[in-house]
Amino acid sequence: MKIDRRSFLSLGLGAAAGTALTPLPWKLTDDLSIWTQMWPWTPVPQDGETTYVNSACAICPGGCGITVRKVEDRAIKIEGMDGHPVNDGGICPLGLSGLQLLYGPRRIKSPMKKENGKWVKISWKEAIAVVSDQIDALRKNGEAQAIGCISGLRKGTTSQLLERFLLSLGSPNYMSIPSSYDAYELAVSRMHGRRMTAGIDAEESNFILSFGSGVIEGWWSPVRMIRAHSVWKEKKAKLVQMEARLSNTAAQADKWIPVNPGAEAALAMGIAAVIVKESLYDKAFVENYSRGFEEFRNMLLDAYSPDKAASITGVPSSVIESLARDFAGASRPVALYGRGNGSQPGTLFEAMAVHALNAIVGAVNRPGGVWAVEQTDDNDWPAIQMDEIAKKGLKSPRIDGLDPGSEKDPGSLVSRFSELAVSGEYPLKALFIAGANPCYSFPDSNAVKAAFEKIPFIVSFSSYMDETVEYASLVLPNHTYLERYEDVPAPRGMGKPVRGITRPVVSPLYNTRNTGDAVIELAGKIGGSVAESFPWGDYETCLQETFGEEWGTLEEEGFTSDSDFSPRSWEEAFKEDSGKFNFASAGFLDSVREIVPEGDDGSYPLILVPYDTLRLSGGYIGDPPFVIKTVEDTVLKKRDSFVEVNPETAGKIGVKNGGYATLSTPKGQVKVRVNHYDGIKPGVIAMPRGLGHGGTDEYLAEKGVNVNELIGPIPDPQSGFDGAWGIRAKLTRA
Amino acid sequence: MSTIEENTKDSVDAAVKEPGAPEKESEKIEPGLAQGSIIVSFVIGLAIALIIGWIVFPALLYSEKEQPFDFSHEVHNDLVDGCESCHYFRDDGTFAGVPKLWLCRDCHEEVQGGTADEETFVYEYVWNDREVPWRIYSKQPDCVFFSHAAHVVKAEMDCETCHGPIGESDSLKPYEENVITGYSRDIWGKSISGLNKKHIWESMKMDDCADCHKEAGMESSVQTKKDACFVCHK
Amino acid sequence: MKKGHEHKNPKKYGMVIDLDKCTGCGACMVACMAENNVPFKKDESNKLDSITWLRVYKLTNNKPYPDTEICYLPRPCMHCEGSHGHSPCVSVCPATATDYSTETGIVSQIYTRCFGCRYCMAACPYHARYFNWWDPVWPTGMEQMLSPNVSPRMRGVVEKCSFCYHRYQLAMEKAYFEEREDLEEDEYQTACTEACPAGAIVFGDLNNKGHAVYKLKSDPRAFRLLERLGTNPKVYYLSSREWVRRQGDNYLEHEETGKARQKVHH
Repeated sequence: MKIDRRSFLSLGLGAAAGTALTPLPWKLTDDLSIWTQMWPWTPVPQDGETTYVNSACAICPGGCGITVRKVEDRAIKIEGMDGHPVNDGGICPLGLSGLQLLYGPRRIKSPMKKENGKWVKISWKEAIAVVSDQIDALRKNGEAQAIGCISGLRKGTTSQLLERFLLSLGSPNYMSIPSSYDAYELAVSRMHGRRMTAGIDAEESNFILSFGSGVIEGWWSPVRMIRAHSVWKEKKAKLVQMEARLSNTAAQADKWIPVNPGAEAALAMGIAAVIVKESLYDKAFVENYSRGFEEFRNMLLDAYSPDKAASITGVPSSVIESLARDFAGASRPVALYGRGNGSQPGTLFEAMAVHALNAIVGAVNRPGGVWAVEQTDDNDWPAIQMDEIAKKGLKSPRIDGLDPGSEKDPGSLVSRFSELAVSGEYPLKALFIAGANPCYSFPDSNAVKAAFEKIPFIVSFSSYMDETVEYASLVLPNHTYLERYEDVPAPRGMGKPVRGITRPVVSPLYNTRNTGDAVIELAGKIGGSVAESFPWGDYETCLQETFGEEWGTLEEEGFTSDSDFSPRSWEEAFKEDSGKFNFASAGFLDSVREIVPEGDDGSYPLILVPYDTLRLSGGYIGDPPFVIKTVEDTVLKKRDSFVEVNPETAGKIGVKNGGYATLSTPKGQVKVRVNHYDGIKPGVIAMPRGLGHGGTDEYLAEKGVNVNELIGPIPDPQSGFDGAWGIRAKLTRA
Repeated sequence: MSTIEENTKDSVDAAVKEPGAPEKESEKIEPGLAQGSIIVSFVIGLAIALIIGWIVFPALLYSEKEQPFDFSHEVHNDLVDGCESCHYFRDDGTFAGVPKLWLCRDCHEEVQGGTADEETFVYEYVWNDREVPWRIYSKQPDCVFFSHAAHVVKAEMDCETCHGPIGESDSLKPYEENVITGYSRDIWGKSISGLNKKHIWESMKMDDCADCHKEAGMESSVQTKKDACFVCHK
Repeated sequence: MKKGHEHKNPKKYGMVIDLDKCTGCGACMVACMAENNVPFKKDESNKLDSITWLRVYKLTNNKPYPDTEICYLPRPCMHCEGSHGHSPCVSVCPATATDYSTETGIVSQIYTRCFGCRYCMAACPYHARYFNWWDPVWPTGMEQMLSPNVSPRMRGVVEKCSFCYHRYQLAMEKAYFEEREDLEEDEYQTACTEACPAGAIVFGDLNNKGHAVYKLKSDPRAFRLLERLGTNPKVYYLSSREWVRRQGDNYLEHEETGKARQKVHH
């Protein structure tokens, strides 16, 4: 038989007919459609048993409790802890994204040493040896004091261990990064005559005067304050927001008072002047529990009469007067201090001005007011052992020339860091960095980077590859807060005592080590009196011994608190004459009252102010992918930052909405886009903190401009803290 | 070849052929034979297709995979109190599925019966703290949400209804993996035609679920008048 | 053997969002992304292709300084009931990939069923639907945090807010296991509701008198978006500001807010 065309076609026909009689076409169609529905590269998350672990968030000082949902060994989601005294189930965008920090590409996976400009992985043993060799050499050379440390943590055992480590080595140059809370605490301490912590009983207030505080934008303890704001809405409390820009807080406030930037203190004093002049102050408090009122009154009436205050602040005197009457007339008023999210300290005068305003209406140690609570030492650790080298080192002045035991806060060192590190009393030879990213978040960050380049040996404890790590010689990566034990002190302004604990929600993913352990191990390796100063086998033992009986509750519940706590009454708090509230306390009436922004108004006709938003993290940890995704396209578009400019101001310059412009300040020049924003005072430009990151995370790096490159620090003569709130600027069409 | 076919073929040929046209090589073949070869071709084609469709295709479509070692449900069933002793519900109502090592370890910390399979289990998995990578016959695609509690507790169905008499099996049947989809043959069912299904447990496709739900009076979908999509999808 | 399934109380899940409390912080957006395996790209500044099931919009009253006002408005899927469950998107879907459940009032989206024609996106007046122009990519290690309760999507399909339906599935599963038929109000809550630090989002069964949303939806401040289209959305907003309520729909100058809703219902 020969195969011809017809029989071939017939064969095909038969095959077709046969195929139709088999399940092949239908089954193949079904399988192929299933295949296209589940591409092999689409991940299939493993299912398993769901468990929940209570812990604490340590990304910011807000002190929230978190509950992490896990499926088998994987952490799936972070949620706010129900029933936690700070956040009761609520949580902020950054806290929600913590797992992206844990599992994300930013992690440093092992100790690393820089060799010829490249990172080389090393063992922990080698890393510890390298650091101890360097320290030994410096100490033997009589340069113990040239070892510095910048810690982003103000409180808690890790910061205490670091400070202790530096003292045991013989260095007075332990620097912590102060915030507006520290400035306020300092103001309260000065005025009360004792070391105090300050709490705000915000939930109970019914008239809130906010001097630029971003109450719902991350101020002090972000979630707690947003919750307090909702309480205010429910009980119809009044919120008055005073700042140059219509922030989200101003937008939700009952009244927005646009004030000249930097004139918040003058406004507080202007309001106080009206209260004093019209005798609206709390006489019971002022007459029985305070002193220095006469001097205060004279100063107010002299320098802050409504007209004078109006000319400084740009707020009409009638508005100042009515604010004063409303504030003094409220049953539970409170005034809040600290611009934006409160990360910048500001001047002591301004903090005192706000606290004095609270005091004259009696909003101190009573419901709805400021709670001043005496500070107690957090731990009863044994005395630090010091050998001869350490004793000698601690006889040297700090890099700012002050005595090691100086009253001036170690936070004052960071506002002048770039200058002091290289041309202070002596140059720093070694520097430890923990929980901080100075090369990004310090003002005038380019100058900070230049200073870092001149420090021969820098050790970073960072968990993440950030701007500062790039300048380090060695990294001893910390576990993330989801992999380690660490105490979380009471959040800023909490009032009632709360302590949280982070715990290993997952086992450490990489070859990292808790900084507490690294410090203890380092001390052990250095040996001698340094090792003796750290009598704990490891950091967990240190925590257990430090918290004693409290540890059990911390382990079990994730936090400890005292919800019944209330501050001492006026009677008890101010019973002795010397302990009276002092309106004329040192550094208040005679201090420098205003910080004049850098730059001359001829070359720089505008004023640039930074602003904070919960969608951009301006601190040492940059936005994880989820959070940067929420940033509006009027803030960041591709790689361009937008600045907010009043349409009137923009019109004068001739920049269209969305147009490109060159923004220059005495510190630097950048290309930006302009967002015409009606909610900003003419002549003022606003730019968010949190953009313009470097580093290697492609989801964060090279997006927009870092505002810290454009603004320099201005140390407050009283506190030494950075008092800058902005800088003069020029905007030209590009 | 029958005469009728020949006649027909002739007339067709006559009708097609143009008078005077040169005869082609192929047409030299006897008409009857040509016709026969067409039919034979058809039949061969049909046969090949049927063989491919019914025998070769299923053989190629499914690749037989071994389980890590053999397991007897029957032996275990005699020792424990029903399926839920090992295939239990967690406190949150989710179903644990195939038990993890910690549960087996209660009895199998040491070798008990002494079969080669048990030795493999104890020495390679229990002692090394390694979970057994079982292949799950009833594993559904990721887009499927299935609640055992809804079926077993709420609807009071037996395990056998969907899983068949697996509890009585003495050894694990081979796992047949669909090479295109990656899922077990048990989802589509042993019968490649998908027809003559006698038991519910013979296949686990969406239509099987939908039919049963419809039967039970669940018709919350506006589009299909069957049960709503989100009942079983995630 | 099988036990029938009775529809005793058809539920109608909905949301009431208090814009007076909303701070625009964005926690709801992130909670949603983390809960639902929403993908992210290196650049998310083009909001047209940025997938945010729940998006917070910034409204302004368009008045010059210093009378400018701002209000934030979180926009999940409205889970429109339309007329008898024929919401705009469900009506146009040729693939039965999106559906309306009369049992819960939730508009579902089945990714594996969707073939990406995007009719639903054109039909949705709220821009609540998003198309996957690319396959999602999770940086190495980050796929660890994917939730098994929500199926990750692939390129070429539409996705949207599901009112965290998987939480309903799990809550019902627990209820069935405990031999219960109904859920308590707090047993089924969406991720955004739980996360919102302001407590601005309230979620529950609009048919259930015991649920907070039942009462809140009749608050004098309440309005819904584009009510006059007849979409019958299940998301209500509360605002004490008239200019905000006016932006919820298209009004003629002489028209007052608050009237539209009643018209549709009659």
